[in-house]
Amino acid sequence: MKTIVLLSDARNPVSGRAQLSRLEAQAIGLAADLDETPQGLHVGPGEEGVAAGLGHGLRGLDVVEAPEGEDPLPALAAFLKDALSGDAPPALVLCGRRGEGGLETGLVPYLLAEALGLPILADAVAMRPGEAPGTLVVDQAMAKGARRRITARLPAIVTVHPLSSPPQPFAFGRMRRGDIRRHAAAVCEVPVDVGAGERPHRARPKLMRTAGTASGGANLHVGPEPEEAARLILAYLEENGIRGYGRG
Amino acid sequence: MSRLRKDPRAERATKTVAEAGRRPRLDLGRREASPASGRPRRDPWREWAASLAGETVTGPERKRYDRSQRQMNRADAARFAKERQSLDATDISPGQPALRVVEAPAFAVFAVVEAAGGRLSRFDRQVLGAARLLADAGDGGGAVVAIVPESVEALGEAGADRVLALPGAATPAIRASMLRSAVEEHGPRHVILAEEGDSADIARRLAACLGEPLFADVEHLTARQAVRAIRGGRAEIGLAPPRLMTIGEDRAKPHEAVPCEARPLEDAAAARLDDPAILSVEIIPGDPAKLALSETDFVVSAGNGVNDFAAFRDLAAVMKATPGASRVVCDAGLMPRQAQVGASGTVLAADCYLALGISGAPQHLQGIAGCEHVIAVNTDLHAAMIERAGLAIVQDAQLVMPALLKLLQERGA
Ligand SMILES: Cc1cc2nc3c(=O)[nH]c(=O)nc-3n(C[C@H](O)[C@H](O)[C@H](O)COP(=O)(O)OP(=O)(O)OC[C@H]3O[C@@H](n4cnc5c(N)ncnc54)[C@H](O)[C@@H]3O)c2cc1C
Repeated sequence: MKTIVLLSDARNPVSGRAQLSRLEAQAIGLAADLDETPQGLHVGPGEEGVAAGLGHGLRGLDVVEAPEGEDPLPALAAFLKDALSGDAPPALVLCGRRGEGGLETGLVPYLLAEALGLPILADAVAMRPGEAPGTLVVDQAMAKGARRRITARLPAIVTVHPLSSPPQPFAFGRMRRGDIRRHAAAVCEVPVDVGAGERPHRARPKLMRTAGTASGGANLHVGPEPEEAARLILAYLEENGIRGYGRG
Repeated sequence: MSRLRKDPRAERATKTVAEAGRRPRLDLGRREASPASGRPRRDPWREWAASLAGETVTGPERKRYDRSQRQMNRADAARFAKERQSLDATDISPGQPALRVVEAPAFAVFAVVEAAGGRLSRFDRQVLGAARLLADAGDGGGAVVAIVPESVEALGEAGADRVLALPGAATPAIRASMLRSAVEEHGPRHVILAEEGDSADIARRLAACLGEPLFADVEHLTARQAVRAIRGGRAEIGLAPPRLMTIGEDRAKPHEAVPCEARPLEDAAAARLDDPAILSVEIIPGDPAKLALSETDFVVSAGNGVNDFAAFRDLAAVMKATPGASRVVCDAGLMPRQAQVGASGTVLAADCYLALGISGAPQHLQGIAGCEHVIAVNTDLHAAMIERAGLAIVQDAQLVMPALLKLLQERGA
């Protein structure tokens, strides 16, 4: 199953240097289980940070050279459209959840899916080929450790969840051996529209999560019978919607 | 230096009262009323009324007031807010809280809630609270339309004026297309979703198919602006609240004032939609026992006051909770180190924490600072955990554990 992993122009939050996003490294790990030779695709000024993906298990990397700060979407869509209509079309496109160091809306995979007319599945933690050819079984992470197992028809775009297995260890030799193919982007000059009014970030406190019987309210029970205590505990859990027992 | 100098002449001039036909008179006691600031004045009487904690049971009848400025739980806070505000609102009938009715809304604000299992989660309430804020922005008159996947209770209390049910969607793609037709039909001014799980997915699908920008993971929301972090948290952008937004967890206050009516809207014959690319969908429930402490929503934890660990593990399994422990227990090798809760163990993100025989050392309490519901079972009435808990039981944990197990068995769990 031919797989392409999209690599974003991630920035280290402290130093601001280009780096490989961890989630994309995890995506490479998932891709390596499905495809012997997973390929990477990056649109940006160079391969400075993303070349590390070769060390994590990518076999080849396509870099579409585009000036910094330009919207990568048209170049990505054009490259993938070519690849999909070529003689060895990719079956699966993997990506992270959102960029790191840019606008971070997480919209690129969705806009790409819209542009290419492919289905998109979010938050994959595990994947394996389906029983029928041309299908893929994806486990999606949901709240409270639940999983949604979806069988989808390929080709598809899948985004990866941070709970998927950790990335393969980095190997320098592997990075040196991997081949990097550079392509020139068709000039499109759509600068990413950064909303005017970008300003330094100000940390804002989150709401506090506290609740207590601090003042010795109605919910303090001194020395109840153990059976009564058990009943109180279960009633409290059910009342607050934490768990329901015996009723499903 | 910066202090204004007194100007005796000007003062004299302001205090001079000129009356027609009489000599100017000097009124030294006169004070100009300062302009009204618009800030509501404190009403000490009402604050006293709200802090009434009860009346003494024995002896001569005396009122007990709790004037300590402690954190209130939701029930108390709701009572307090009601006491303070609903006195002005029109009470339909005495004793019943007033209901807020928006008869002809000027515009709609959609709040998409997950409401797993028919109950609103904390995050869902915050999404509704954010929608309420935007519906009341400016001149107000907007209606909050809660978009729910199934029937959900207590939507009115959470601030929903209308409820639109979009049932029977198996995948986010179908939910997104249903939501899209609802958006096209009702034309809401804002659509707010949670930046979590399926909601985050649906928000992006909606943005992609409507071709509109998405303002994702809002950190700060007021009626005038929405702010989100960009560039790895080094910069931020603030705009007037845009149309499509997802809001981060614990970023907006839930609605706590007068309940709204939550009137169901009938939707125009929901078309059965299919997702051609999806062949099958199956939900695999999570096993809490295998979850990491940082992911789970319910932790049952043992401390030094527990000595029957076989029963404790059984209890955690039967209660469908993740087992945890205090440091003392982990140090003694009675529980694995991964189970340690606290500053040097795991800081929990769970909703509920059941502490059996844990004293509540500061290092331990740090680990559960994020838990909304805490239940403590301890023999010591003065343990810090008892004070922290929302349900505190002063009883021997060795007796409560078997009683719980027995009760759960009777219920067939
Ligand atoms: C640097 C540092 C870091 C630390 N980090 C952590 C940490 O991350 N996590 C952590 O947990 N601790 C941590 N500690 C340890 C912490 O200070 C406490 O020592 C520890 O939390 C106490 O654990 P406990 O409540 O289980 O035990 P105890 O303090 O011994 O409390 C036992 C409680 O059980 C009650 N009890 C006794 N018998 C019964 C019974 N039969 N039924 C019911 N109740 C009973 C007692 O009344 C008492 O309240 C740290 C300490 C230091 C110095």
